[in-house]
Amino acid sequence: MIKKIMYECIDVGSEYCPCYLAETNDCITCSRLQGKSFCDCNWGGVCIYQRYFWNGEKVNPSRETYKAKILDKKMVGDNLIIFKISVMKTLARQLKQPGSYIFIRNINKPQFFDMPMSIMYSNEYNGEIHVAVQILGSKTKSLLSLNDEILVRGPYWNGLQGLKELKTLKASNALIVARGVALAPAVLVLKYLIKNNNKVSLIIDKGKIDEVFINEYISDLNLVTIESDITTEKGTLLIRELIKNNNYELCYSGGSDRQHCEVKKLLTELSPKTRFAISNNNEICCGEGICGACSIKIGKKVVKSCKTQIDTSYIVEKGEK
Amino acid sequence: MTRIIIVGGGWAGCAAAITAKKAGADVVLIERTDMLLGLGNVGGIMRNNGRYTAAEEAILLGAGDLFNITDKASRHVNINFPGHSHASLYDVSKIEPMVRNYLKKMGINIMLQTRVTDIDVQDGIIKGVVLYNDSIVKGDVFIETTGSTGSMGNCLKYGNGCAMCILRCPTFGPRVSISMKAGVEDILGQRSDGSYGAFSGSCKLNKDSLSSEIVEVLNEKGVVVLPVPKDDINEDKLKMKVCQQYALKEYAENIVLLDTGHAKLMTPFYPLEKLRKIKGLENARFEDPYCGGIGNSIRYLSIAPRDNNMKVRDLKNLLCAGEKSGLFVGHTEAIVTGSLAGHNAVRLDKGMKLLQLPISLAIGDLIAYANEKIETKEGLKTRYTFAGASYFERMKKLNLYTTDEKVLRRKVERLNLTNIFEEKIV
Repeated sequence: MIKKIMYECIDVGSEYCPCYLAETNDCITCSRLQGKSFCDCNWGGVCIYQRYFWNGEKVNPSRETYKAKILDKKMVGDNLIIFKISVMKTLARQLKQPGSYIFIRNINKPQFFDMPMSIMYSNEYNGEIHVAVQILGSKTKSLLSLNDEILVRGPYWNGLQGLKELKTLKASNALIVARGVALAPAVLVLKYLIKNNNKVSLIIDKGKIDEVFINEYISDLNLVTIESDITTEKGTLLIRELIKNNNYELCYSGGSDRQHCEVKKLLTELSPKTRFAISNNNEICCGEGICGACSIKIGKKVVKSCKTQIDTSYIVEKGEK
Repeated sequence: MTRIIIVGGGWAGCAAAITAKKAGADVVLIERTDMLLGLGNVGGIMRNNGRYTAAEEAILLGAGDLFNITDKASRHVNINFPGHSHASLYDVSKIEPMVRNYLKKMGINIMLQTRVTDIDVQDGIIKGVVLYNDSIVKGDVFIETTGSTGSMGNCLKYGNGCAMCILRCPTFGPRVSISMKAGVEDILGQRSDGSYGAFSGSCKLNKDSLSSEIVEVLNEKGVVVLPVPKDDINEDKLKMKVCQQYALKEYAENIVLLDTGHAKLMTPFYPLEKLRKIKGLENARFEDPYCGGIGNSIRYLSIAPRDNNMKVRDLKNLLCAGEKSGLFVGHTEAIVTGSLAGHNAVRLDKGMKLLQLPISLAIGDLIAYANEKIETKEGLKTRYTFAGASYFERMKKLNLYTTDEKVLRRKVERLNLTNIFEEKIV
């Protein structure tokens, strides 16, 4: 059968739904809030139209920007900083699920310095979150001077595609391949998988970062860790062997789109039934589905990937910019 | 073996499951909630006016199973209330398990809490239905009995919002129109002012919340008629309800309560404050919908174009029944159309000619007449039921209405249709 792609909005039913997209008839889920005259939604447990209507046709308030205290700032090699930030316990709790991210910014810079950053660690009991920032361009460089305070906007959740696949996996084998700064979001992924009694193999590739910076976050977890440069032939062989011998139900790839494609190729060849989740690498700029920076085109449809869960095979194989 | 997949476990779906099973098929009945019967769980009225004739016809045709159950579960038989004669009222709190057990005993595979979200269709042939969990149920022939009510967005657009009715969309998710997913556009019913859909026509009061005098009469006679205070009479409300057979002046000037286990209130909704002004209802509260003071479910928003043998046009292996198949009102109408669809589904798979019931039977005439009328502008504003309004008038005019079982027996025998639905085809 030709599977119809369904798009799921990550924010559906949350306190941020209905959002501005409802106001302009661009809702990701509700057919009525797309201007159609009939109900044909990809039901997520709530009627967005009903919420919108009873809200006086107003959108719910969107995420706010908070001034947050920097608890610690640690340089890893030349090009990576780990920020430990104090936030409200509520926000920390909301950032526990895999794929969570926030926007951060230098407190003295205008809003267009906002950059999305994956959550590596979140402690809801003392309200602490950790993010790892690879220093690349003007936005990230502007963080170097920060010592006391940082601007934080969140929570956002669509930092990975294939969340449903990941969250429904229980007592199975899973493979995580993560490289470079994408090791950071992999921490929440593997914690989630282990919590659900899955056996996890983790391939760590430090990529362009000088050292593996997640060790202290995963040291007390029960998992098999292998360090390797996956861009080499040896690395590919390692992944091959693991896939062949371990009957993985799920594979998560954290890294570049090229990495996703390479891993997917191996899966298609060796274990086509393995579910696939990936880090969301699209340029995320506003996080609210408005600015269009994260748009990807699937067929004739333009999908805002900052808020939309999309079947990963479409992103890896058929998605086009 | 012929595998028939029925989507929607209301009265129509249950009836279709029974006749398809009787015809020898392997039958799967898929229902999105945790109970069969859908709105039948808050219904209750059988055998009033022309429905008596239709029920007897169905029994003679060999599709009497569900009528036997509703008869057995009746709290009251042969009662009269304004505009209606010889009605039976089944007990809504007993009926569902009785039907469920009956279907189970027949060997029908019932899948509850299983919402269909999409279909797999190729060249007009449905290969399977896609479930909420992305799995696919495959079959040879499909019957859509998803009804036409809801979901929440529709109830809001055309009504007063979700009033929390027995269909419980917030819990189980909305109905999905299978035919629409297959590319066949739905037909929408209208109200007399041309707006779309119509309110469900009755709500239920919790019997324990009524005065002991009312409860006593209800238990004994099955019906209570209470006058509405003059200032609160609202005849406009009659226009917006589906059940044109109850859109009579008596129903605006009076509160008509029927005993179906709950106290069935024959009006789409009734503001609680006003309701409590009526003697004996001072403490009344709603049982269905929970917000019966505010609104009710909206229906007739999703009708599939079909032939008189219940096959959906432009699709090769989809049939439909119940409200999905026309602007019908009521359980009897759902059961008789469902019975025909179930039987014909098996015929379709075997390449046999599909059965069309003759218009000399009330059932055959209703199916054909509703289909003819739905093509017209006026017809979209009319509802078709054996129980009253224009169709019951037609029944009487065409001499189709009778409560004489012998007359009907002779007729069905003459037509050579006795127990046709009992026949095993495969």
